[in-house]
Amino acid sequence: MFNSLTLTIESIGSVVVRRIESAGRLGTFLAQIVSRLWGHKFPLGETIKQLHFVGARTVPLILISGLFTGMVIALQFYDTLIRFGSVELLGAAVAMSLIRELGPVMAALMVIARVGSATCAEIGIMRNEQQFDALDCMAIDSYHYIMLPRLIAALIAVPLLTALFDVFGIGGGYIVGVLIHGVSEGAYLTGMADTIVWNDVLMGLIKSTLFGGVILWISLAKGFYLHIEQKNAGAEGVSQATTNAVVLSAVLMLFVDYIVSSLMI
Amino acid sequence: MIYQQTTYLHYQCLQLNGEVDLHNSPQVRKQLLAILKKGDSVLVDFSTLSYIDSSGIATLVEAFNIAKNKQLTLTIVAASGGPLQVLELTNLDKVFPMVANLTDVKE
Amino acid sequence: MTTTSPIITVKNLNSHYGERQILKNVNFCVQQGEIRVIMGGSGSGKSTLLNHLLALLVPTSGSINIDDVDVVNADAKTLSNLRQKMGVAFQGGALFSSMTVGENIKLPLKHHTQLDENTIDIMARLKLELMNLAGFEDLMPAELSGGMLKRAGLARAVIMDPKLLFFDEPSAGLDPVTSVELDELILKLRDAMNMTIVVVTHELESAFKIADKITVLFDGEIALTGTVDEIKNSDDIRIQNLINRRSRNEKINAEQYIKRLTTGQG
Repeated sequence: MFNSLTLTIESIGSVVVRRIESAGRLGTFLAQIVSRLWGHKFPLGETIKQLHFVGARTVPLILISGLFTGMVIALQFYDTLIRFGSVELLGAAVAMSLIRELGPVMAALMVIARVGSATCAEIGIMRNEQQFDALDCMAIDSYHYIMLPRLIAALIAVPLLTALFDVFGIGGGYIVGVLIHGVSEGAYLTGMADTIVWNDVLMGLIKSTLFGGVILWISLAKGFYLHIEQKNAGAEGVSQATTNAVVLSAVLMLFVDYIVSSLMI
Repeated sequence: MIYQQTTYLHYQCLQLNGEVDLHNSPQVRKQLLAILKKGDSVLVDFSTLSYIDSSGIATLVEAFNIAKNKQLTLTIVAASGGPLQVLELTNLDKVFPMVANLTDVKE
Repeated sequence: MTTTSPIITVKNLNSHYGERQILKNVNFCVQQGEIRVIMGGSGSGKSTLLNHLLALLVPTSGSINIDDVDVVNADAKTLSNLRQKMGVAFQGGALFSSMTVGENIKLPLKHHTQLDENTIDIMARLKLELMNLAGFEDLMPAELSGGMLKRAGLARAVIMDPKLLFFDEPSAGLDPVTSVELDELILKLRDAMNMTIVVVTHELESAFKIADKITVLFDGEIALTGTVDEIKNSDDIRIQNLINRRSRNEKINAEQYIKRLTTGQG
């Protein structure tokens, strides 16, 4: 009885210790990357390459998901607003929910799905194939050469992707509200323009920038520390690390979402 | 100085001194290309050269190719020891014209 | 062998992985221009030893001195300078999959030198020629076979004309012909460029062919450091087992063999 109790306490303790260790690693990892902003030549070429990967190649996915998200929330709001006889608020409602909340969150989820998972797997495979050892041995700083460009690219690209998502969402709302359900075009557009204030846009911008940072930070770290955190370093380890990265970055993203919302509303 | 330049017959003779490596091979390159640009043929004298790395060899390859395209010549003089072995390792001893002594150079 | 001071000196090196001791009081020196083979089976600690020499791991105690640099306590700048004089060929090549073979090989030059683009291109092609990889410059690593990856990794390792070359398992996973070619290349590199070469391997045959001296590791301890003949004539029963294992495998006990094939036992 006493024995099994100590065992339980021990195993809880070891889980806690591992979590704290892991959090510490994430923290030092980010600090290492950020410190490369000073005293190093900015890795412009690599950053542009990564902007293409994170940004340009995610655009089709963002357009499609933005369009459908806008269509579905327009449908939901239309159904609600018509009961109160205030469909002229449709444009404002769609735009407000997209710009402040749904745009950043949905776009970030798409980035996690497409970029976060791929990045974690790529970095994990690099770790497995000793590519980071090779960089160390060539006296090339992997934080500066590999990590920093990807993080910067995400900080730039994710807000832009979010803006695209918002525009296409509003377009989707227009299709459903104005073209399908006959809400007046003037009401849809001016309602939107009258209601949205700078603070809403700023909130969306801050959120999406932070989300981009969080996603790449977690995905890069989970791949980079594969050899420490995963028992099996092979393909299984890579898939496990990728799953962890996706789950952790999604949860952390929503947590940041709440914090920013509560500070700005 | 990593090189000394003299005139020998109608050639410009570039005598390489000591060790040609990553740090000073750009100087050698600049001088070689300048000579070829003026339209002179080159003798590269290895007699006081103790070491040449692959950036030096790459420089010679580039210069040799430019010389060939301009119908000029680039000749290696008095290669021996380490530098000769490096030329052999890369099979360039069969590509570059090589002479043992400056006196063997023909008019 | 000259009597100048050794380029690598390892003194009383101890290393742990968690609680487990991997290296026990390892001592050895490598002279300039020497080809040293570090040999041992899996679990002997040879990969750990290599990682210590490359300053990828920090030992529990002991010192490692390479080219007059105290590797264990060196600051980042000193270590970076030392590493530019060292080349490392990793087991699987460790090429970057997002770059072509040529870009991979040029990477150290682009990072550490101000050489002209033309010079860099020719240098890379010279090394590719040397490794019998001419014309593979624009391929991606994924399009290369295992042996080619290894040679491309070697090309990248020697692109800066290092004083010191480390080679991890040159012949592992290669067909015999390719592995013989690699052995010859290692000898050629030493002779023409006067490199000091440290090879980590479990292959006896190639070790005997290329080594000036062999250091044999067992369970994290050095069993013996000696010339090829000294190793062959050693009284150490573990070394004799290692040498004889190969020939014993080639003899076939018909009865046991059939039993293994039919029942899976024996």
